[in-house]
Amino acid sequence: MNTLRTLEEILVRDYGVAADQVTLGANLVALGLDSLSMLELMFKIEDRYGVKITEDAPTDLTTIGDVVAFIDGLVARAPDLAAASTRPS
Amino acid sequence: MRARRVAVTGLGVVAPLGYSPDELFENLAAGRSGIGRLPPCGVREAPAPIGASVDFDGSGFFPAPRLRMLDRVSQMALIAAQRAIADAQVDFTPRARARCGVFVGTGLGGATTTADCYRTLFEECSDRLQPFSVLNAMNNAPAAWIAIEHGLEGPNLTFSTACSSSAVALGEAARRIESGETDLMVAGGAETPLIPGVLRAWDAMRTLAAADPQDPSASCRPFARTRTGLVLGEGAAFAVLEEWQHARDRRAPIHAELKGYGLSSDIGHITRPTVEGQARAMRAALQAAGLEPGNIDYINAHGTATLQNDVVETAAIKSVFGSQAFRIPVSSTKSMHGHLLGAAGALEFVVAVMCLRRDSIPPTMHLDSPDPACDLDYVADGARRGLGLRCVMSNSFAFGGTNAVLILTSGDSSGTILRSGD
Repeated sequence: MNTLRTLEEILVRDYGVAADQVTLGANLVALGLDSLSMLELMFKIEDRYGVKITEDAPTDLTTIGDVVAFIDGLVARAPDLAAASTRPS
Repeated sequence: MRARRVAVTGLGVVAPLGYSPDELFENLAAGRSGIGRLPPCGVREAPAPIGASVDFDGSGFFPAPRLRMLDRVSQMALIAAQRAIADAQVDFTPRARARCGVFVGTGLGGATTTADCYRTLFEECSDRLQPFSVLNAMNNAPAAWIAIEHGLEGPNLTFSTACSSSAVALGEAARRIESGETDLMVAGGAETPLIPGVLRAWDAMRTLAAADPQDPSASCRPFARTRTGLVLGEGAAFAVLEEWQHARDRRAPIHAELKGYGLSSDIGHITRPTVEGQARAMRAALQAAGLEPGNIDYINAHGTATLQNDVVETAAIKSVFGSQAFRIPVSSTKSMHGHLLGAAGALEFVVAVMCLRRDSIPPTMHLDSPDPACDLDYVADGARRGLGLRCVMSNSFAFGGTNAVLILTSGDSSGTILRSGD
């Protein structure tokens, strides 16, 4: 749930998404996140979690739940960085 | 005799000295300068530059999700265009939208975004360029956003002819209306050059004015013996141009008539202007307007305060107007709002329309001691009012040699021209 809250905070602040729309099943395009916005979001995730998203950046994320799973996977593969997820952006 | 005439029905500015044409004009008439010290630009040992900046924060106009897709130049263009459209009181119907286009002039486009890219690459040594960089930096972004915002489906063009860009945009827009291709055009210009790389590049050409040690706001001195160069400014200025009968039918406020547009190319040096080139553009505008030199009551000069321009422009005016030249008031408002490069022609077009509306002429400031080669009436003694102005000319010249001249008239008895008092 922590990841979802963090994502919600970014989407509300930088993309003008209403907080109550950020649910696991919400469709990214329906929230107004086009492909360029998703690329931009990857930078924000890198900064927030202190990770580097390389060529394996996914292109098949369609829901908020997909993004949450993607972030959790990144953090799991870099456990030493997990602590960074709690730092303020 | 042209069948279709072009009315100016809306004006909007985001400029040094004003967020509205009225505020801008009142400041100019009062001789107030928008030029001052800018923040230091981060270059060691370099003095803080001077410029005419706009107190503008896009976050006051656009929500964050929108803002990240708009370079500062597009932000200013959108606000100025929106105000021009509001001023024209246009309510776009689906049919009207199909016959309405957007023409914009800009020299540098989204230069702030381009600078940000280089900062990321070379200062932060990072390759994480923002995904919107290309869309924010491209020169046609302001025109595209204006069309998207207002649903204007007609021709959408961006002109880049350096310092005459937006005068060209206005003139070409008028021609689309005259030809019958469109009924209404949103036209103008935007420029945001007050960033370190651009300021330093202009300085490297030795064209920028030295800061006046006593009073930085008096650093731009067109036609003066003591002039040292131009001062860069930022901002946006837009007009709504409309086919005359179209404007009459919807009882639109008509500010003026865009009567003539003349273009020429200097075909000389890439930077050095020519008397013949500038004179050809003025003659072409007079011919297009069906007017004689004796009909012109005021000239808003290009008047950059560079050593070259002011002498050449003075000679060109004398070449076109002959002995009439000494009778016609000529002023350079760049002495106060600076040189907006690609937006300069549109800003000065707005000033020229306001001259007709207010029946007054703003002065050339800081002209205590004219260059002996600049011997016209430059309105150095303060604004003049109640002259019965009917016909004014606005000059825009450029590096590269594309000269553009626009002529505006207060119309005739068949029009519903607004003329407000001071």
